[in-house]
Amino acid sequence: MSNDGKSFIMPGTSITRRQALKRMGLFGFGGLAAASGLPVYAARPPAARVAVVGGGFGGATAAKYLKMLRPDLDVTLVEPARRYYTCPFTNLYLGGLRDFESLGHDYRELGETFGVRVVHERAEDVDVDGRRLKLSGGGELSWDRLVLSPGIDIRWGALEGYDEAAAEKAPHAWKAGPQTHLLRRQLEAMEDGGTFVLVAPENPFRCPPGPYERVSMIAHYLKTHKPRSKVLLLDAKDNFSKQGLFMEGWAEHYGDMIEWVGLSDDGRVIRVDADRLEVETEFGTIHRASLLNVVPPQKAGVIAHRAGVTDDSGWVPVEPETFQSRKVPGVYVIGDATQAAPMPKSGFVANNQGKVAAAAILADLDGREAPRPTWMNTCYSVIAPDWGITVANVYEVTDGELREVPGSGGVSPSGANAEFRRNEARFAEAWYAGITQDVWGSRPTG
Amino acid sequence: MKGIDLKTQETTGHEARGAPLNPGRRRALRALAVGAAGAWLLGRGALLGESGGRAVWERLDAARERLDGARPEPGAIRLDLPGVTQDGSAVPLTVDIEHPMSEEDYVEALYLYALGNPTPEIADVYFGPLAGRARLSTRIRLNQSQTVLALARTSGGRWLAGHRDVRVTVSGCLSQDGTYDFDSLMRTRIRVPPRLRSGEVGDVRTLIDHPMETGLREDRQGRTIPERIIKEFRAEFEGTPVVRVRLYRAISANPYLRFPVAPDTSGELAFHWHDDQGESATEAARIEIG
Repeated sequence: MSNDGKSFIMPGTSITRRQALKRMGLFGFGGLAAASGLPVYAARPPAARVAVVGGGFGGATAAKYLKMLRPDLDVTLVEPARRYYTCPFTNLYLGGLRDFESLGHDYRELGETFGVRVVHERAEDVDVDGRRLKLSGGGELSWDRLVLSPGIDIRWGALEGYDEAAAEKAPHAWKAGPQTHLLRRQLEAMEDGGTFVLVAPENPFRCPPGPYERVSMIAHYLKTHKPRSKVLLLDAKDNFSKQGLFMEGWAEHYGDMIEWVGLSDDGRVIRVDADRLEVETEFGTIHRASLLNVVPPQKAGVIAHRAGVTDDSGWVPVEPETFQSRKVPGVYVIGDATQAAPMPKSGFVANNQGKVAAAAILADLDGREAPRPTWMNTCYSVIAPDWGITVANVYEVTDGELREVPGSGGVSPSGANAEFRRNEARFAEAWYAGITQDVWGSRPTG
Repeated sequence: MKGIDLKTQETTGHEARGAPLNPGRRRALRALAVGAAGAWLLGRGALLGESGGRAVWERLDAARERLDGARPEPGAIRLDLPGVTQDGSAVPLTVDIEHPMSEEDYVEALYLYALGNPTPEIADVYFGPLAGRARLSTRIRLNQSQTVLALARTSGGRWLAGHRDVRVTVSGCLSQDGTYDFDSLMRTRIRVPPRLRSGEVGDVRTLIDHPMETGLREDRQGRTIPERIIKEFRAEFEGTPVVRVRLYRAISANPYLRFPVAPDTSGELAFHWHDDQGESATEAARIEIG
């Protein structure tokens, strides 16, 4: 495998991970721990306690890497779900390309192989002064360092008419689970010749290319099963992730089935009527849907607000070198909940951030300076079977701010041939297999 | 109300060529790397407070000239801007001024500046008492992290000031298209409340399709694309000015303006847009009171 720039644009699974690890210097750490073994740490005072809240891409990674790098550390992962379904690739499930169960992962490897204590409860509240976590089962968990990886919550009501009751009629399906199934059932029940309407939010939100992959996969389903149907995407933005590549792919596979209406063309929705499946735009156009999918405004997961680490944007400001909260020392926040722009809110980046936070916590416990991190990200999107596109970048801290490394990535080329796109779709599958193995120890099923 | 002297306005500000306001992602990186050194340093200084403990308005020549020795009072102007934005080409901005809007005492002018842009002017806004409230929303271009400044002058001659810092990042998952579709040039959209109670402040939204070409951008062959902007917008209720805006190149493509109106009788609200190439557009809508 080569180490040239190309591998960032179309990385295979193993090289992606290996490069990420190498760039973060974690290979060195891991090797040291493995070679020297427990005796190095055996003489230490009682092991520090780290609590990790949230068992998604960020939290599960942080928990695993903390134990991998420092086996005598006392690490507890708090995650209500025994089986965790990833948001990445739910669009492929909606389009009929993946089985929903293939998106599920469990915590056996974290517990059995790495010795993470996994508590299947909800973290209800945080006492940052007393350094205690209150759990849904009534118990408490004391910690010396806390990692929050709570993902997103919906800002109910921020878009007029879109509350929890409305989401039962017009699903968001922006968290994997019941909402995803609801949207799929509605899709199956939709009449041929109907209009699927997706409402896309302003930045920032989870998974910048997500709404556009969503309509691609919906269009694939409709083209296959209900070919007289239409897809209308009402957007609060004039630009979106991988716009040129999406537009090209839509024209190639779906002709004029997908219509995108941007901000300047009155695409911004200001009111939702979930009972009538209608939306109203800023300049007063009413669009009626057969199936209405609203990707609503979002904020950091609720436990971040309870911990007092969010600011008035609803997201969590962090120290770029370590992902320690800017507001509450000793609390590290990773993943979609953070303000980490220019890094996107992606599973790939959350996984990187989990490793950086793990290394930073160990350095902090040792009284060392945190290693200088580098992060990378690739967002794969599947537009049709065997038709993938990517955007990739590397990030580092310059002048105290997170920055994209100039020339480190970019989007895959426009006008590429079918073989190139087929390979990108394969890389997407391989990425998923690779990262879910890294995070949860999952092995691809038949 | 004071008129807008376009001739004198156009020659003010810093000319820092080579720093596109609405660049593609790669171009933005290149601009940061090689060009725009002056603008970049100005912005860094403003952010890092290198200019010491001076007030924000003291750091900007254009603001000091506008104030002409007056010292503005802080507190009354609220700027609503995202603290961090991933798309500097269209940053939503709302300015809301806590001040009466009566015939005797009203905010007559609002001046908006982006301290870190190649040219700092964003817009000059002139309110009439019929606006009901000194509030304006638009979308602006910010070519880097910087401070946005608002100065307002009341009919009684008082000056007010407010500012807000914005961090502009370029998201790896966002890419922008540098082309503009001229087919819809000067196409307008308006939204006007059809009915208001007497004394009620209504909400008006307008948008016009226009590239707002900055004159700071190059095409693929490396030639500078000439400046072309909407330079003036007016809204009048039965001939009485509600709001008048002088727009600069820092207003985003397809200028969006949202403002209040509080007429005391039924009548027609008329809109006029003018670009610097002599193109214009008009619109009108009735508002019933009662």
